[in-house]
Amino acid sequence: MDIKKTGEEVVKKAIRYGAEEAEAVIENVKEFNVNVRKGDIETLQKSVSKGLGLRVFIKKQLGFSYTSDLSPEALDETIKKTVELAGITEAKPWQGLPDFGPQPLAELDLYDAEMARVPDEKKIAIARDVERIAMAQDKRITNTEGGSFSNTEREAGLFNSKGIAYVFKESRCSFGAYVIAGEGDAMQGGGWSSSKRFFKELAAVEGVAKTAAQKAIEKLGARPVETKKVPVVFDRYAAPSFWMGLLFALDGDSVFRKTTFMTEMLEKSVASPLVTITDNPTMPRFVGSVPFDGEGNVTRKNTILDKGILKMFLYDSQTARKAGVKVNTMARRYGYQSGPSAGFLCLVAENGKDEPATLFKDIKEGLLVTGMRGLGTDATTGAFSTGCSGFWIVDGARAFPVDGVTLGGTTLDILKAIDKVANDLDLRGSLNSPSFRVTEITVGGKKA
Amino acid sequence: MNISRPDHLMDRRSFLKKGMHTGALIVSFPVWKHFAREDTDSLLAAEAGLPGGLDKDGLRKLLEVCLSRGGEFAEVYYERTVENSISLDEDKISAATRGLDMGVGFRVLQGEKTGFAFSDDLDFARLKEAAETAALIASGGAKQKPENLTALSPPSYYLVKVSPDTITPKAKAELLIKANAVARAFDKRITQVGVSFYDINKKILIANSEGLYVEDSQTLTSLGAGCAALEGQQRSRGYESKSGSYGYEHFDIKLAEGMARTAAEMAIRNLPAEDAPAGEFPIVIAKGYGGIFFHEAIGHSLEGDGIRKKTSCFWDKLGQPIATSVVTLADDGTYRGAWGAVNVDDEGCVGQNTVLIDKGVCAAFIQDKLNARLMKMKPTGNGRRESYKFPPYPRMTNTYLLPGEARPEDIVKSVDKGLYIAKIGGGNVQPTTGRFVFSVTEGYMIEGGKVTKPLKGIMLMGSGQDVLKNISIVGNDLLVIGGGSCGKEGQSKPVGFGNPTLKVDKITVGGKKA
Repeated sequence: MDIKKTGEEVVKKAIRYGAEEAEAVIENVKEFNVNVRKGDIETLQKSVSKGLGLRVFIKKQLGFSYTSDLSPEALDETIKKTVELAGITEAKPWQGLPDFGPQPLAELDLYDAEMARVPDEKKIAIARDVERIAMAQDKRITNTEGGSFSNTEREAGLFNSKGIAYVFKESRCSFGAYVIAGEGDAMQGGGWSSSKRFFKELAAVEGVAKTAAQKAIEKLGARPVETKKVPVVFDRYAAPSFWMGLLFALDGDSVFRKTTFMTEMLEKSVASPLVTITDNPTMPRFVGSVPFDGEGNVTRKNTILDKGILKMFLYDSQTARKAGVKVNTMARRYGYQSGPSAGFLCLVAENGKDEPATLFKDIKEGLLVTGMRGLGTDATTGAFSTGCSGFWIVDGARAFPVDGVTLGGTTLDILKAIDKVANDLDLRGSLNSPSFRVTEITVGGKKA
Repeated sequence: MNISRPDHLMDRRSFLKKGMHTGALIVSFPVWKHFAREDTDSLLAAEAGLPGGLDKDGLRKLLEVCLSRGGEFAEVYYERTVENSISLDEDKISAATRGLDMGVGFRVLQGEKTGFAFSDDLDFARLKEAAETAALIASGGAKQKPENLTALSPPSYYLVKVSPDTITPKAKAELLIKANAVARAFDKRITQVGVSFYDINKKILIANSEGLYVEDSQTLTSLGAGCAALEGQQRSRGYESKSGSYGYEHFDIKLAEGMARTAAEMAIRNLPAEDAPAGEFPIVIAKGYGGIFFHEAIGHSLEGDGIRKKTSCFWDKLGQPIATSVVTLADDGTYRGAWGAVNVDDEGCVGQNTVLIDKGVCAAFIQDKLNARLMKMKPTGNGRRESYKFPPYPRMTNTYLLPGEARPEDIVKSVDKGLYIAKIGGGNVQPTTGRFVFSVTEGYMIEGGKVTKPLKGIMLMGSGQDVLKNISIVGNDLLVIGGGSCGKEGQSKPVGFGNPTLKVDKITVGGKKA
């Protein structure tokens, strides 16, 4: 399929059928996925798929449809239906295509042309090796969910009646293992993976395997603690969940509707001055990067929290127009089956100055969080609660693994109480953070 | 593995956004129309009947291709899904959407191995290529031929007379407009109202090398209302919905208005909510929403894949007591009109009602064909997949706790200091350890046997093994509800759940107050 030709034709036809503005997104995806368990292939999947999403506006009214059938007849029907749907909705003055037109796209180098030439046998061998090496790390590894390898090549396009016609190609590959340590009620699982744009940049199999095994073993014997208020360190790989929960409260439309506790907080200090949060999907060759956002705006680095000061809310062009503010290149789209909405593309919490070890050094009794169950922040009320697992810290060192405890508090209090941010940022995906420490959070456990 | 329910305040875009972030989404429910020519919709009529190549001859050919490398079992799964949604927001009908997804998934089994491929291009040559790819899981020459196909006619558990897909968006919009007016008029502190109507119709055809041929038409329909309230700096939300395998005849203006009132009441009631306490407390879970609790805390750990691989904490517990004797838990694909009801599952096994825990004793597991065969057990009609793009796994349908004899008010009376859990928003579990969390969207203190002040920021945490041993009283008021979406292996699937009012003697509550 010629994505560009199809996309431009669909937009033109939508206008001919009565749309005042139209926008089409198209994708063509090739996927490979293998799971190996105990050395044998468990599932092997290969597929090629495609789809189109169409958004049209008539007199500020919106219609949206999608289809996986791209035959001329199906496309024709989809276009007609979408125009009809727009006629049913009511006008909102802010609805319509973005104000911007075509812009030059940055070359982010996100496609690995070599990936298509990596033989399936090689991919299967990686999945096998990572599981085997992880299992062999320690006698206490008793079982496995398996090793896996997957890769995706995707060609995607965005076209609109304001002249935007973007096509880009991206690739992604990842592998990892998930193993189980211990037996019976004492079982604990742990996994690790590596995900890259380029096959050659994947992490060494051995390192990933060892980390997976360690993640399972270190949790053996995990137990709850008694309820108390203590200093809490969020490990760099647990911290992203915390920021993700916070970002829901920064949704521009929720602010306009006053349904978030962050409503009045723009340009105010909402967090410790150690905290800087950006959306940065512009790093070349990075898995979290993308050249344009979900409505065709060229991406850039946006600073959301600057040294604790809230600098912006998240908008797509419709919610920005509604709120009377500038659009900030954070229109997110989840495949062709839905329209764009405001959301971060690649969250990066910036490194602090503290060596990771100094986050623990002066803790007499506290908690290191390595896994969060839940996002914590309630975007409406600002209450913070989540389940978590990790390690109990006594006199600056890990004493024993912890599971089955909760964290409870108020998001704004927690943000203000961040007193150390480590310099250990590891860019891995669309959510990235260094470790950080909070002076005090209520850890809920055994007794009231 | 996780579950979530939408609160309907968000529009459809936000559902998706939220869904994707939390790993569970409500809108991806595939649905479909009937194969027959009764379709009046032009989008579907364009393709009345089956695509060329999927008649019995074509299916047999494709199954032969699947088995050409020596596979033991082959399956063709065709799906055509149409979904519609319409939503009201800020006093206006803000979005109307429609989606079509169709394709064929091919699965070949050999021993514990699964080969899987799909095609969304229905051209026979493309289908054959996909079948060849799935066949590659085996190596060598064909060892067997597919059996002749015989049609299966399962009983129906869906309550669908009028397909919602045949109702004009304008008529659906009327429900939303009426509901909005009621919620807006309820209290001037109600600042936001969102109402949405969603329906999905999924037409499936399954044929396998054992000679099975079955078609099913699965319709799910959901109407929901959500409200936000604001007073000073106090914020709250309320929501209510009705979701099931229902036809449009189950929805009318009176229902929509009542739903809006309930949502508005909940938001206003929760405006003065205080911070929840932290620590161990007895809790009473109201009827309906506690089903999420059983789905998450126990159900996932009883799924056949984790049991077979011994990665679930319950793998060796069959026939053993795992709960108090008041606990009888079922997974019931035959619950009429439920959100998770299935005439046949996504492998063509007829829907079943399986007692998982019988008076406290672990009685059965949740099985698909593959895991049941490898464990020498019977499939339980729980082989489910999100769409033709995924292979099936053992998944729950409608999971509920059977009623006991206690009156709900007496259960509350039995608690001196604890929490009353009215609505649960969602949760997740790690089936290896059985550890779960739930976020509570509506909860209250119980003091001196009475439900008192509303609380915010309640999180429940524990392990399935512990909780099952702490359920002390089960009420006589079972309610099964829908609208939930369960996530597993990257696939999302509609599930129903339910429970009578019940008491858990102690559980860890995560709140702010130490």
